[in-house]
Amino acid sequence: MRRVFLLMLFGVVTFGLWSLGAQPNVAVYVYNSEVMIFWDPSDTYSNEIIAMNNMYEQLIRYDPFTDSFQPVLAESYEKSADGLTWTFYLRKGVKFHTGNELTAEAVKFSIERTIERGMGASYIWAPVEEIEVVDRYTVRFHLKYPAPLDLIASGAYAAFVFDPEYSDHEWFAAGHDSGTGPYTVEAWKPGDYLILKRFDDYWRGWEGNHFDKVIFKVVPEPSTRRLMLEAGTADYTNMLPITEIEALKDNPEVEIVTTPSFQNLLALFNTRKPPLDNVLVRRALAYTIPYQDIIDGVRFGYARQSRGVVPYGLWGYSDRVKQYTYSLEAARFYLAQAGYPKGGFKLLLTHVAGDEDERRVAELWKSTLAKLGIELEIRGMPWEAQVELGQAPDPTKRQDIFLFYWWPDYPHPHSFLREMFGTRDEILFNFTYYSNPLFDELIARAEELAGIDRAEAINLYVEAQNILMEEAPGVAIYDLKYARAKRTSLKGYVDNPAYPHVVFWYECWREE
Amino acid sequence: MGIYVYVTRRLLLSLVVLFGVSILTFLLTRVVPSRPEILWVGPRATAEQIAKAREILGLDKPLYQQYLMYIGAFVRGDWGISIRTKQPVLRDIASRLPASLELILVSMFLAVLFGLPLGILSAAKAGTVLDHLGRLVSVAGVALPAFWLGMILQLVFAKELKLLPLAERVDTITLLLHPVKHITGFYLIDSLLSGNFVVFVDALKHLVLPAVTLSTYPLGLTVRMARATLLEVLGEDYIRTARAYGLREAKVLGKYALKNALGPVITVLALTFAYSLAATFLVESVFAWPGLGRYASEAIMVVDYPAIMGITMLVAFTYVALNLIVDVMLAVLDPRVRLE
Repeated sequence: MRRVFLLMLFGVVTFGLWSLGAQPNVAVYVYNSEVMIFWDPSDTYSNEIIAMNNMYEQLIRYDPFTDSFQPVLAESYEKSADGLTWTFYLRKGVKFHTGNELTAEAVKFSIERTIERGMGASYIWAPVEEIEVVDRYTVRFHLKYPAPLDLIASGAYAAFVFDPEYSDHEWFAAGHDSGTGPYTVEAWKPGDYLILKRFDDYWRGWEGNHFDKVIFKVVPEPSTRRLMLEAGTADYTNMLPITEIEALKDNPEVEIVTTPSFQNLLALFNTRKPPLDNVLVRRALAYTIPYQDIIDGVRFGYARQSRGVVPYGLWGYSDRVKQYTYSLEAARFYLAQAGYPKGGFKLLLTHVAGDEDERRVAELWKSTLAKLGIELEIRGMPWEAQVELGQAPDPTKRQDIFLFYWWPDYPHPHSFLREMFGTRDEILFNFTYYSNPLFDELIARAEELAGIDRAEAINLYVEAQNILMEEAPGVAIYDLKYARAKRTSLKGYVDNPAYPHVVFWYECWREE
Repeated sequence: MGIYVYVTRRLLLSLVVLFGVSILTFLLTRVVPSRPEILWVGPRATAEQIAKAREILGLDKPLYQQYLMYIGAFVRGDWGISIRTKQPVLRDIASRLPASLELILVSMFLAVLFGLPLGILSAAKAGTVLDHLGRLVSVAGVALPAFWLGMILQLVFAKELKLLPLAERVDTITLLLHPVKHITGFYLIDSLLSGNFVVFVDALKHLVLPAVTLSTYPLGLTVRMARATLLEVLGEDYIRTARAYGLREAKVLGKYALKNALGPVITVLALTFAYSLAATFLVESVFAWPGLGRYASEAIMVVDYPAIMGITMLVAFTYVALNLIVDVMLAVLDPRVRLE
């Protein structure tokens, strides 16, 4: 018995020593929820992109800080003067994880499959008329109208290129990938972890200090994520509540990376239901939002007040757009003009249940509205229920204020203007129920110009946003600043807001 | 009534209970305002995509037809596809069940290991300091919020003393270096079977904090039940007689009293076990434990009705099965039960 015990002890000790010696170069990303749900690169529209942007690649990648594009699968590209024809010249010798070579046929197949499936963000390809294979390494896009195809082709969703031979939906769903990216799936345990390993034949090679493997762990509890980061068992996490971020600030082993995001919090007003069908009341409401208190008290400074509805940092944002301020005098003035000098009405605000920031924004707002005799009922609901109420057939049965976050499908201001404020036959996200033909025409013209004359397109977007400020069908409250927590030893990380929550692990390394 | 008739009757009754649970849960998950089709297609879906999803999920059919389709597939082993994870519910549950069972079994073991002696001592030394301590443990065990205790244990033993791992079932990097063959899904058993001691030790270390946290409730319950029933038994005539005969107190306690006092303790523990299956989500959340409780809470948050149905049926089945086993055992032991 004793001998067996000694043998076991010996085994444990040697295994232990061996494991210390052969520590692989592994990075750990702890995430608040399930990472992989949609495995199909055509369909994905959610959390998956944080892993998928390491497994798959696009033709080009967008750098919003310099408003330029980096070559990825395409070495270069050109567009015709009318903005209707875009030609991409592919890199030669790029291999899919399956061993097959990247060709123009594969690009055509990938994008066409994504368009045909019609899932997720596939509609970003709407301007595409036809995809032409010019030769083995050249692919040409013919557009219906001039659109910024470079922005579309660099999208964080729906723009991945994959191997046509391995593109069966069920095969993907079982936890496989067929991209060209630096990492490929090694193991996946739903609800627990996803492990990616390096793809040896990656076209950029493995010279230098790259990670061999990346682990994505599901850790729902924020305090546990924070402790893991402090202990060094995690390298990176996102979505920490601000209180946890503040607590980590003074730890030299942890670094907080702050970047303006393309995400903003909007309050959409129900323009089809009294009293908010009255533009004067809507304007009054826009003056009652305690912008600075919200930024200081709710976001601890990790936000900036929105100007217009296009977030800061995204093209289309402009100082020429009007901005509301917190002013109870102005609010009183407009309320009196509208016939509500003493307030005396009640409004229903809906937000996503569980989003603490949204709830606290609503609470602060409620207190300022109370000063004007306006009662605000705050209702946190599951997203599906919030949408359902917002789409109720009778506009007077819907909420008065719809509070939610918006972010673009690809870095284009259009989605902020069209989805929430454009005229819609059926309500999808137009929870303002706003319709203004002049506004519609401005943004339609801007979209068509965006591919050929960016400056003029911006002028039109500025004009359109100023109409929104005047008519106040809704207000953007703040543009979110991302605050990520990572180990100080993790180097090479750039928070690119065009690829939200993504860490491009190939570009990172650890420095002890 | 013979034992066979009794068992058959109980089996049939159990089926009725399960059937009732299935109807009730199905109705409940469907009358709650929710839009499964929106969750199915993902965020920002177009009306077209949503309509297509309704069709795929069969939501356009009348409710009774949906139920019949569901229950028909269910008995054939097809528990549907989770709206949230897009994976078959049965596979989802099967992949998370071992993690939960491992945690619950170890915590139950701890609860009995410490709870039973403490309960017995408490009863034997009723009114003494030891008894007060036992009662304190039982009240605290039942009353302490487990997630709070878990966080405190994390702070003390993982962050400050660095003695034990913070969270997770096993260190993923260790698992990468020393892969474990999937046999039962229990890391402790699988690692032992494959002679992988590194993972065994690592998994054991990872189990300590969550298992201790989770054991407080059944521990408190065990102490309380053991003490109460033992005190009752100790007041019986036959114990007095045994004592009058001059038998040693240890023998009176261990041989005569305990045997009759254990029944209720086992019943309560069995029910706590079934309850724990889906109710451990706070502990699982704090310790990033990829178990069934977390799966259940995540399913409930988004009204993922196939997953909710699957978990509820599993828990109901466990309840019914454990109850049945306990009742049959009691019936075998005590013929009076069968006559009721």
